[in-house]
Amino acid sequence: MMSTKGYKPESGLAAEIEVEAYRRLFPLQYYECHLAESVRPDSRALGRARDTTIALGPVPSADGSALVKIGDTTVLAAIKLEVMTPSIDSPDVGSVAVDFQMPPICSPVVRPGRPAEAAPVIAKQLSDVIMSSGMINLKELSLISGKAAWMAYLDIYCLNADGSLFDAALLSATAAFSHLQIPLVSLNDDGKLITVSEEVKDKAAVEPVNKENRKLTIAVVPFSLTCIVHGKYILADPTSEEESVMDTHVTVVLDSKERLVSLYKAGGAVLLHTSVVKDCIVLAKQRVEELSEILRESLSAMEVD
Amino acid sequence: MVHRIPLRGTRQRRTIRQKELQYSWRWQLEHWVPIHHRKAWNGDINNRKGQIFKKLIGLDLMVGISISADLPFSGQVLQALHQVQHMLSLARPRFGPRESKKAMLYSDVGRLNCHVTYTTFSTPIRGQGFDNKEYSSMLHKALEGAIILETFPKTTVDIFALVLESGGGDLPVIISCASLAIADAGIMMYDLVSAVSLSCFGKNMVIDPTSEEEACQDGSLMITYMPSRNEVTQFTLTGEWSTAKINEAMELCLDACSKLADILRSCLKENASELTS
Repeated sequence: MMSTKGYKPESGLAAEIEVEAYRRLFPLQYYECHLAESVRPDSRALGRARDTTIALGPVPSADGSALVKIGDTTVLAAIKLEVMTPSIDSPDVGSVAVDFQMPPICSPVVRPGRPAEAAPVIAKQLSDVIMSSGMINLKELSLISGKAAWMAYLDIYCLNADGSLFDAALLSATAAFSHLQIPLVSLNDDGKLITVSEEVKDKAAVEPVNKENRKLTIAVVPFSLTCIVHGKYILADPTSEEESVMDTHVTVVLDSKERLVSLYKAGGAVLLHTSVVKDCIVLAKQRVEELSEILRESLSAMEVD
Repeated sequence: MVHRIPLRGTRQRRTIRQKELQYSWRWQLEHWVPIHHRKAWNGDINNRKGQIFKKLIGLDLMVGISISADLPFSGQVLQALHQVQHMLSLARPRFGPRESKKAMLYSDVGRLNCHVTYTTFSTPIRGQGFDNKEYSSMLHKALEGAIILETFPKTTVDIFALVLESGGGDLPVIISCASLAIADAGIMMYDLVSAVSLSCFGKNMVIDPTSEEEACQDGSLMITYMPSRNEVTQFTLTGEWSTAKINEAMELCLDACSKLADILRSCLKENASELTS
């Protein structure tokens, strides 16, 4: 797994001890040795993201679901729809509730009974990005104006945390929304909405309320890339080890039309020059192209099935 | 008894299973193991001794198995309940044994902690993701007898099972999945534990029931079993049963357990050969 390419201990202690021991004892120096050679311990170039795969529909009982892997980071998103009564102020819009969970299964850092600190932060960022990017039109989630609308519960579980959690979570969320199939509902005699199963939909007795619009139109798709800045180096899509060693993170969210949706730089010891931020955005642009291609491929593969 | 693993101290006797599983105490798990259980049955009563097919599901790095089984049935077949079950669960021992807490007393055998959690979307009606205390203790009891706790004194192994989708017969899947994950982590076990449950409806019995079937069952039986040692680690029986039927149901379950264990074992082998190649 580990490549020793680019690791050339010149002298002193570094020349004497084993690579693995050096990595554990002096992680920062170990990384700097690699960075000087423009390569990372997993033999990636600095600006390259890890291999990414999207599997749509891993949870058949949910209305939409997606499993995303970026390298070893694995994230599962599922959407369940429930009928709710919209508020009086906005009678013809539905709503979306986003939750991000990090169960202890995902990382040795997370202890049972003590929820991970990162989880609510990522959940808030996700819901901000999904709402502000205009990815979904909430009016499409309306069923009967003022009476009924869909409440979409988006629950994202991190199954394996190996860095760049926000990127994986956002990708799984957009993939799950693209996969979302809205169930048929109809009014029963009491004026309540009931779901119509696929088998009985042809019967004349039940007239579905929502015959069209079984899919959401996703106008623009937001994609994100997290970078780590260390000195003059910019590392795209860091692993959890890289995240723990170097502490300046920049997350750039761009949509599919290359507009900037949001940019996070949460603290960190290194102050950023604007030119570095520009470089991050350039990297994010390349990543957006990659990711939209991957998402498009997985969606078209699903349609073939 | 070919597959028996020697107790600590008899190092010279290397067994087949040790070679198979590449016991290397790989504590940092790189692979999690989902079990993908599936039952399909063609309604043919004569097909009493069916076959279990094994198929790897191709979700890139996952080690996954899919079981499509014509398991044996007795009596009449309940055609109305015929359907394909879908159930997924995920277990992972927590990054190998860790040092037990200072507050705990010294113990010369290892400790085992089990946690079973459900995701919010696992049930048909969305609930809060919840911890299942009952299943946690059942899982603990099922595995306790199979793990060689003497091999890691003073330390604790945590096992977390996360149910991604619940479609009936959850506990057997959780147990089989956890035992697979323990083996994958290189923690010493006497044998793999495979578990199968069975529901009875009047005269009929259905193996590996769905949630709909579980909702209207008269009685249920679950066996967790170590096939190579021919030992049962857990046996639960609820509801209405006659002695003759218990015997028949046990036979069915034990048979299914051994078949399931074969699949688990070959899944592990495949994973081990993938890692080394």
